[in-house]
Amino acid sequence: MEKLAKPVPSSTIYTEVRFAHQLRRPIVLQGQLDYGGAEKLGKRVDSPYRETTEISDGHVRVQREGRSVREFTLDRAPQLQALLTGFSAMLGGDPATLKKYFAMSLEETSSQWTLTLTPLQSSLSRHLRAIVIDGSANQPQCFSLLEPDGDASVMLLGALASAKLPTPPTRAALTAICHGKS
Amino acid sequence: MTPGRRIALILGWWLLLAALAFVVQQRLVVSGDLRSFMPPARDADQKLLLDEIGDGPASRLLLLGIEGAPVETLAGLSHALADSLRGDAHFSHVLNGETDPSALDPALLPYRYLLSPTLDHEQFDTTYLHAQLQQREYDLTSPAAGMLEPLLPRDPTLEVLTLAQRWTPAKAPSVRAGVWFSSQGEALLLAQTRAGGFDPQEQATAIAALRADFERLPHARDARLVISGPGYIAVQVGATTRAQAEWLGALGSAGFIVLLLLAYRSPGVLALVALPLASGALVGVAAIMLAFGSVHGITLAFGFTLLGVAQEYPIRVFSHRRAGSDAYACVRDVWPLLRLAIVSASIAYVAFFASGVPGLQQLAVFTIVGLLVAGFATRWLLPAAMPPRFGDVADSAWLERARCWLDAMPRPHWLPWSVLGLALILLWIAPTPLWQTNLAALTPVPPALLVREGQLREALGAPDVRYLLLLQASSAQDVLKLSEKIDPQVDKWISAGVVDDVELPSRYLPSIATQRARQAKLPDRAMLTAALDAALADLSFQPDLFKPFVDDVEAARRLAPLTPEEFERSPFGARLQAMLVQRDGRWFGVATLRGVHAASALANISKATDGAVRLLDLKTASENLVAQYRVRILKALGLALLLLAAAVAIAFRNLRRAWHVIAPMSLATLLALAVLRIGGVSLSLFHLVALTLAAGLGLHYALFFERPVADDAEARRTLHATLVCVISAIGVFGLLACSSLPVLRAIGLTVALGVVFHFCLSTQMARPRLDDHEAGPSAT
Repeated sequence: MEKLAKPVPSSTIYTEVRFAHQLRRPIVLQGQLDYGGAEKLGKRVDSPYRETTEISDGHVRVQREGRSVREFTLDRAPQLQALLTGFSAMLGGDPATLKKYFAMSLEETSSQWTLTLTPLQSSLSRHLRAIVIDGSANQPQCFSLLEPDGDASVMLLGALASAKLPTPPTRAALTAICHGKS
Repeated sequence: MTPGRRIALILGWWLLLAALAFVVQQRLVVSGDLRSFMPPARDADQKLLLDEIGDGPASRLLLLGIEGAPVETLAGLSHALADSLRGDAHFSHVLNGETDPSALDPALLPYRYLLSPTLDHEQFDTTYLHAQLQQREYDLTSPAAGMLEPLLPRDPTLEVLTLAQRWTPAKAPSVRAGVWFSSQGEALLLAQTRAGGFDPQEQATAIAALRADFERLPHARDARLVISGPGYIAVQVGATTRAQAEWLGALGSAGFIVLLLLAYRSPGVLALVALPLASGALVGVAAIMLAFGSVHGITLAFGFTLLGVAQEYPIRVFSHRRAGSDAYACVRDVWPLLRLAIVSASIAYVAFFASGVPGLQQLAVFTIVGLLVAGFATRWLLPAAMPPRFGDVADSAWLERARCWLDAMPRPHWLPWSVLGLALILLWIAPTPLWQTNLAALTPVPPALLVREGQLREALGAPDVRYLLLLQASSAQDVLKLSEKIDPQVDKWISAGVVDDVELPSRYLPSIATQRARQAKLPDRAMLTAALDAALADLSFQPDLFKPFVDDVEAARRLAPLTPEEFERSPFGARLQAMLVQRDGRWFGVATLRGVHAASALANISKATDGAVRLLDLKTASENLVAQYRVRILKALGLALLLLAAAVAIAFRNLRRAWHVIAPMSLATLLALAVLRIGGVSLSLFHLVALTLAAGLGLHYALFFERPVADDAEARRTLHATLVCVISAIGVFGLLACSSLPVLRAIGLTVALGVVFHFCLSTQMARPRLDDHEAGPSAT
């Protein structure tokens, strides 16, 4: 874990593919993540719409182009909480916090690793089946949130953000990209 | 009477009183509702006002905070406390920020298109639906999509959220771990009591139940429960006042006992001296119970104060006991005067009956019965219980010196007139307003309590307790229409910072007319399906995902508009019920306000709506009511004084002698009033009651001083009795005058001053003078 630790703040561009059972095809988002320390995370969406989400000290502020600002506390959005916790722990290199909330398992091959975080608390597991982080060396490359109902969100980070995706993107294709097999 | 029978009589008397006290205590219902001390409401307006003062939703709210533990523990406690309060009959309503899944009754779900204002400015056409659905598609890509998914197929325009927002106070606290939290990290709750906010007894019961509920919770010991709110503050202030009154009363009683021992050198009197007063008080309370069912708390407080005159009866008997003489004989000597004092005071209190105020009528019953019973006990029971050997107080040498000194004192005829003139001048130039209109000034709230109340109120966004917006119309529907009409004005107020939020009844339930207008804009199934298909063409939703939406819109087109009666059966109905009330055939909408910053701007709406909408200032309104009440008391007291004078005159059958008794009493009362006023005191009911008590004591001084006596020894006994009475009254009430609480100070200072003036003026004006035959009544 320690080798993942990054000096804060750190920013990375991402491509996110969102699979939802109410949608007949996945939706691809692109933007930038800004990690600003333990309780601070900014997520910017550039396409297909423009939106910024700022999480700071348990407070969330969402501004989508053409809509009024929405503000709420982090507890109202458990998935967002999971994202922040996972990200904070991952980039902050804080295994103690991670162990408090998640059971962890690590699979490693020579060049690739996959870290799976399964929530321990029922309040979290109701909304989140697992967080899967794929990486290479000290670089996380994919960040996936898997929901209990089969919905999922896969984020390709950094260099992978510009990887070429099939149309429509499939889970299998994304897994292959995350495992460095593309 | 043998010593054995005497002791048996005393013991039996005490036991009888204890038994009566037990019965009274078992049956006694003390009501604290201030409204029974106000004049009966004369019209719909006053009825509503009295209801809102006592039962208004804002006044019944307790503001709760749980602090001193980690967030998870506090959230768990908030959850558990809310659950247990919902099952507690003392509370009608509990809020702690838990999203209530039953907020919109499933049966009411199709009504959302009639309740939500969306259709006032939108159409369910392709353009609008496409814009909405595009946003929903984006929403599904956000990490918070989980909240939306269950809602989406039925409600793609999110009317349920629009309604939830409308029904949530504008400044609701933030939610952590599922419940409200303040920025200081306390879990916050609002609990509405069933009892009125100004019923201190019932509030105290509810608060005790609340504390017990909290302490039963697991982990309750790890955290602290903070309570505030109007009801809590009233209870706290009442408890502080009672504690100080009891402490000073105990101190005063100890002083009284020492005085009695010094005055009579007989421990036996201690067992006897309290008997007449205790008998009078207990029988008085029992009489109210029989006549009225329940006793008002203020009746008891005022009644016990007024009954204080009865404490003089046994003292008169003890002091007038002659050496070697039969106790009965001595009592017979003083009885005519005591009887005159009792009967004339009782006749005077009959005036209170005419006031028409239940609280005052109770006070009259209590005082009259109490005085009569205390007098009866003094006349017929006390002599039998008195020790056979009893020192004659007339034997003491210092008393004779005091008598000679008093007799030698110059008594110029001009003195009373000068005092009268002086008192009138003092009253005229008094610097402060005559009446204390601010009720709270007498029982000030400790600043720490107020600060905490302010913090909790601010954090909870709880409604203002002083102001209400009142909407008046001839039917419930007209009230709702009126409420819709002023809604835009309310928005202007909020954006101008005049007020933070106004909770209008139409926010919960629009008028039937508005519901029908919205219904008329709902497209039929064919039109909606066509618009939806067109809107979905370039979006990624699953086919047929929105069939429940189409079904609901179709159902909403056929619904009969929702009436207040139906709405009130839903979980949110309780709020509407409190906001929509009928009085005397008129309908009123009661809108609570939050964060009033400029009351005058709000008051202007009355002009704009021809009085149909008014800002109700409960503080001013209740002060006006008390002012009306004060006028009634003043009239009653004035009438009482006339009756008293008439009773004394008739008993004496001699106007001049009656004048010698009434004149010093009236003048001393006036002088006490004048001295209070020049000292900057504004008067309240408590001052009036205290002045009445002092006048009752003054009547005794004057009556006994005026009594022609056979010899100097009897004059010494009169002086002794009066001195014991005066010193004990000054001791007991002088202590109260030192209290830090204005209400106790008001009573103590007034009675102590009054007693001093009554004594001085009685010695000057009531005692027969040697040259009496030369002066007519008009010159005295």
